Amino acid sequence: MNAYRLHRRYILLGASAAALSACSKPRPAPTSGRELRMSWWGGSSAHKATLEALRLFEEKHGIRVRGEYTGFAGHLERLTTQIAGGTAPDVMQINWYWQTLFSRDGTGFYDLSKLRETLDLSQFDARTLSMGTNKGVLNAIAVSNAARLFYLNQTTYQKAGLSLPTTWDELFARGPQFKTRLGQGYYPLDGLFLEFIALARTYVVQGTGKPLINAETKSLNCTRADMYDFAGLYARMTRDHVWPSAQVRASYGNVAQQEMRPWINGQFAGTFQWNSSIDKYSDTLAAKQTLALAPYLLRPGAKDAGMMYRPAMMFAVNAKTPYPDESALLIEFLLNDPDGIRAMGLKRGVPVSKAARTLLDKEGLITPIQRQSEAQLAAAQIHVVESPWFEHPRVRDGFQDILEAMGYGRLSEREAGDRLYDDINAILHRVVR
Amino acid sequence: MASSLNPVDHGWRKHLPLVNAFVRYGLLILVGFLMIYPLLWMIGGAFKNNAEIFSSVGFIPKAPTTDGFINGWKTSTEYSFATYLLNTMKIVVPKVIVTVISSVIVAYGFARFAIPGRKWLFALLMATVLLPKSVLLIPQYLMFREFGWLDTYLPLYAPQAFATEGFFVFMIIQFMRSLPLDMEEAAVMDGCNSFQVLTLIVCPVILPAIISVALFQFMWSMNDFLQPLIYLSSVEKYPVALALKMSIDVTEATSWNEILAMSTIALAPSLILFFVAQKYFVEGVTSGAVKG
Repeated sequence: MNAYRLHRRYILLGASAAALSACSKPRPAPTSGRELRMSWWGGSSAHKATLEALRLFEEKHGIRVRGEYTGFAGHLERLTTQIAGGTAPDVMQINWYWQTLFSRDGTGFYDLSKLRETLDLSQFDARTLSMGTNKGVLNAIAVSNAARLFYLNQTTYQKAGLSLPTTWDELFARGPQFKTRLGQGYYPLDGLFLEFIALARTYVVQGTGKPLINAETKSLNCTRADMYDFAGLYARMTRDHVWPSAQVRASYGNVAQQEMRPWINGQFAGTFQWNSSIDKYSDTLAAKQTLALAPYLLRPGAKDAGMMYRPAMMFAVNAKTPYPDESALLIEFLLNDPDGIRAMGLKRGVPVSKAARTLLDKEGLITPIQRQSEAQLAAAQIHVVESPWFEHPRVRDGFQDILEAMGYGRLSEREAGDRLYDDINAILHRVVR
Repeated sequence: MASSLNPVDHGWRKHLPLVNAFVRYGLLILVGFLMIYPLLWMIGGAFKNNAEIFSSVGFIPKAPTTDGFINGWKTSTEYSFATYLLNTMKIVVPKVIVTVISSVIVAYGFARFAIPGRKWLFALLMATVLLPKSVLLIPQYLMFREFGWLDTYLPLYAPQAFATEGFFVFMIIQFMRSLPLDMEEAAVMDGCNSFQVLTLIVCPVILPAIISVALFQFMWSMNDFLQPLIYLSSVEKYPVALALKMSIDVTEATSWNEILAMSTIALAPSLILFFVAQKYFVEGVTSGAVKG
C-alpha cells in the first residue's frame, strides 16, 4: 500500500515537472495554485489585519497562504525548532537581532536581492536595507523602523503648570518641580530598568558620538568615566525625583509599565518608548489624559541623537524554500501593493516602504502622534549604528543586575560605575562571537 | 452539696464548643478565602472592562459586561474558541488513557516480577524523570519529522503509550509495594494468569493511584504550552493553552478581560473533573480489603 502510494506520488511529481518544463520560459513567473506558509507573532488586531491581507493576496494572485501565528511568547522557541528541523515556513516575521541567531554568516535566510525582479527594493532606503544585510546578503527586509522617543503625559504636565522639557537639564529640573507642585507620588518620567538602560545609553552616546558597543573589539566603546556617568545618571535621576526608584516601582507590583496604576492615572507622566508600540501605552491611560511626543533631548554639543534606530520587525524568506518567487511576491504584496498596504494598515507600525507610507499618509491613516514621531525621526541626526549585541539578553541582564544592585543600595555609585565597565566588558568578551 | 458535686455551669464555659467552632471555622474560611481569591478575581475580572482590571483589586465588577466572553469566544482568529476547547480534548483524552494503561502495566512489571536487570532498568526510569524535558525537544522534533507526524496530535500523546512518564510509573510502583501479596496469591491459586491478576485484582485496589495519575496528567496536559507550540503549526489545530496566548503581544494593548473570560471557561473541565474524582482521593479503598 505504502509503496503504491509513494509510486503514485512520484508519477504525479514527474507529470507536474514535465508539465512545468513544457511551458518553461527563461524565468518562470510566480505560479498560482500553490500553498505558501507564513508565520508571524502579534496581537489580535495584527492577526485580523494579516489574515485579511492574505485573503486578498489569494484573490489577486491565486496563491493560498497558510498563516501560522501565535502571540509573542514562545514564538522564538518555535521558530528555532522549525529552523533546526528544516521545517520553517516560507515567509517568516523576525526580530532584527534574530539575524545574529539564525544567520550569523548570512546564509541562514534566502538572499532577497536575488528576487529583486519581484520584490521592489527601491521602495526601501539604503540604511534600512543595510540593517538586513549580512556579508553582502540581503537576509531580511524591514516592515517598520522604530526608535525610543520621549512620550509624556501632557495632562499631568499641564496640571503642574510645566512645559514639556526641551533639554536634559530641564528634564532634571522637572523632578523637584513635580514633587513640590503635585506631590511625592508624581514623576516626570518612568520606565523599567530596560528603558533606563536605553536612556542612559542615549545619554552616553550623545557625549561620545560612537556606538556603545564595538563588536570587533568585543568591548565597550567608551571610557570608564562614561560608565561613571551611566551610573551617576541613575543615582541622580532617582535622587532628584525624576525617575521613580526601584523601591517605588516595586511597591506597585511586577506588572507591565502601561498596566501600572500610576501610569494609568497619570502620576508617572512619561516614558522613553519605542514609537512602534506607543499606542499600547496611550490605550491604557485613564479617560481625559493625552500622551504627547516631547522634543528629543540632546546634550549640549551632541553631534548624534544617540538613537537606537532599527527595524521593529522584518520579513525573511526561508533559505530552503521551494517557492522563492511566490514568497517574494507575497512580501511585495504586503509591503508595496496598495491592497496589501490598506489591509495591513499600521498594525505593524508605520511602514518603511515609500509606497506604503505615501498611500497611508494620503488616506489619512497615520495618527497624529505617529506622524509627529516620524517627523522627529526624519529630522534627527542618526549616524551612529549600534551593534545588535547591545540587545543580547546577557548584555542587557548585565546592565540590569548592576543598576538594580545600586538601586537597592548594595553598590555605591562609584562601585557601580566600575562594575559596569569591568563586568559588561567581560560579558561582551564571552558572548560576542 | 449535691449541686456543688454535680455543677451545672451557667458561665461562659457552656459556650466553649460553639466559640471553639466559631474560631476554627472563621480562621479556615478566612485562609480559604485568601487562597481562592485569585480565582474569584479571575472570574470577576472576566466581567470587567480593561481599565477596571488594572485599577481595582476588588473582584466584584462595578459595571459588569459580557464583552469579554463574547469577543473572547469569537477570538481574533478564523476559528471560535469552541474549536480550541475541542482540540484540547482531542489531545488530552487519548493522552490520559494511554498514560494510565502503559504506566500501570510497566509499574506492575517492576513491582511484581523478577526481571533480569530490574534494578538497572528502574534506575534508568528514574533518570528519565530527572532529565529536563527541553533537552529532548530538538531530537524528538527531528524524529517526529521523519515519521511525518508534524502538525498532527500524535507527537503529543503517542510517546505516553510507552510509559515515558517515569514519575507516574514510580508513583504506581510505590503504591503497589505497599499492598500485601495475599490477595494476588489467592487469585493465582484460583487460576488467574498474571494479566488477570492485574486487571481483576490489582487495578481495583490501586484505583486511587490510577485516578491521581489521570488527574495529574489531565491538568498538566491542559496547561502544556511548549509541546503544542512546537509540534502544531496550523492554527485550526491549536489547543486552549496556545489560543489563550494568541493575542498577547509586545506592541498591542492586551484585552485581558477576554483572556480572563476564556481562562474561566477553560478551567471548568479541570475543576469539574477534580470535584467528581475527589472522593476517590479521600476514600481509603484498600482499608479492610485484607483481614488478618
